[in-house]
Amino acid sequence: MRRPWRPAQRWNWWQHNPAYRRYLLREATALPLFVYALVLVSGLYRYTQGQLAFTRWLEAMQSPGWLAFHALAAAACVLHAITWIELVPKLLVVPGISGPTIKRGHQVAALIGSAVIVGAALASWPLGGAGS
Amino acid sequence: MSDSIAIYVARYRPGEDDAPTEQRYDVPLSADLSVLEALNYIKDELDPTLSYRWSCRMAICGSCGVMIDGEPRLGCKTFLREFAGRGELHLRALDHFPVERDLVVDLEGFMGHLETVKPWMFHEAERPVAEGEYRQTPAELERYQQFSQCINCGLCYAACPQFGRDDSFLGPAALTLALRYNLDSRDEGSAERMPFLNADEGVWRCTFVGYCSEVCPKDVDPAAAVNRGKVASTINYGLNLLRLAGGKRDA
Repeated sequence: MRRPWRPAQRWNWWQHNPAYRRYLLREATALPLFVYALVLVSGLYRYTQGQLAFTRWLEAMQSPGWLAFHALAAAACVLHAITWIELVPKLLVVPGISGPTIKRGHQVAALIGSAVIVGAALASWPLGGAGS
Repeated sequence: MSDSIAIYVARYRPGEDDAPTEQRYDVPLSADLSVLEALNYIKDELDPTLSYRWSCRMAICGSCGVMIDGEPRLGCKTFLREFAGRGELHLRALDHFPVERDLVVDLEGFMGHLETVKPWMFHEAERPVAEGEYRQTPAELERYQQFSQCINCGLCYAACPQFGRDDSFLGPAALTLALRYNLDSRDEGSAERMPFLNADEGVWRCTFVGYCSEVCPKDVDPAAAVNRGKVASTINYGLNLLRLAGGKRDA
């Protein structure tokens, strides 16, 4: 007699395997980045309301809670970038260039790109130039 | 090394059980005993009612895939010595497949998915035999050789949570098979297979968990194949947009 047993996937399917936990951690990096995008938009909105509103928003961002959130968002961003670049050689196949070389190239490009953006952001800091 | 090891097998007997329950078997431990050989010992010496699949004993046939301590692995390629320190291991049927009995799963749906992607050579026009064989350079062989090593063991499906959520997903092995033929210089069937790659059940259902490649016993790297399928699907989408913009028919 055939009576196949087929359980439905449970909500906690990812808890019992480290590979699944790593995967969900990678995917979960999107959540702090989503909130971070909202924070940036709120800053932009404050900017349209005038200098005082924007300055108050900047001061609010320096509270310990928001600093902790920014640290979390930065860590999520770095983890996302590392895991993303780790996977690049699997889908980008260039004849004559090895997977590790492609990966290294992406890592270097990401570091240079990040340095340029951070440098540009510091140089154009709205509260009085670099380092202030 | 202790004299024996406790093997807990998830038994499911249709008609008797509503769900699998573990049964303990104590098997004499030796360094060269595989999990498959342990199952054979149980079947021969302890319990002839135990059901499982096996054939070649050398990771060629792909029949003896089971969940070993929660990981999809081949029984013939996994040795008891790995678990000697703990003194026990747990076996159950491959995840994400309907369990027919004990460690035997229903692979019909999986086989159907393999067939869906038309895994055979297409030629625009068949060449007469007199013109000789279709020849290939070593470089042309290398493009697809890795993806042709699949033994259809189903471990990648047991590792894929997307297939576990919805088994209409064509899954790692079938999509790898599609790429294997698409990359073959003798084949002209890429366009025939593209609708299946582009479909809801195709490559875009994959979220790049990557565990399929970790468990593959033949190092096929199905995650790479599926995601290269996404690249092909994206290029196809772009070219199709250009065709439509040029007033041509939707391909």
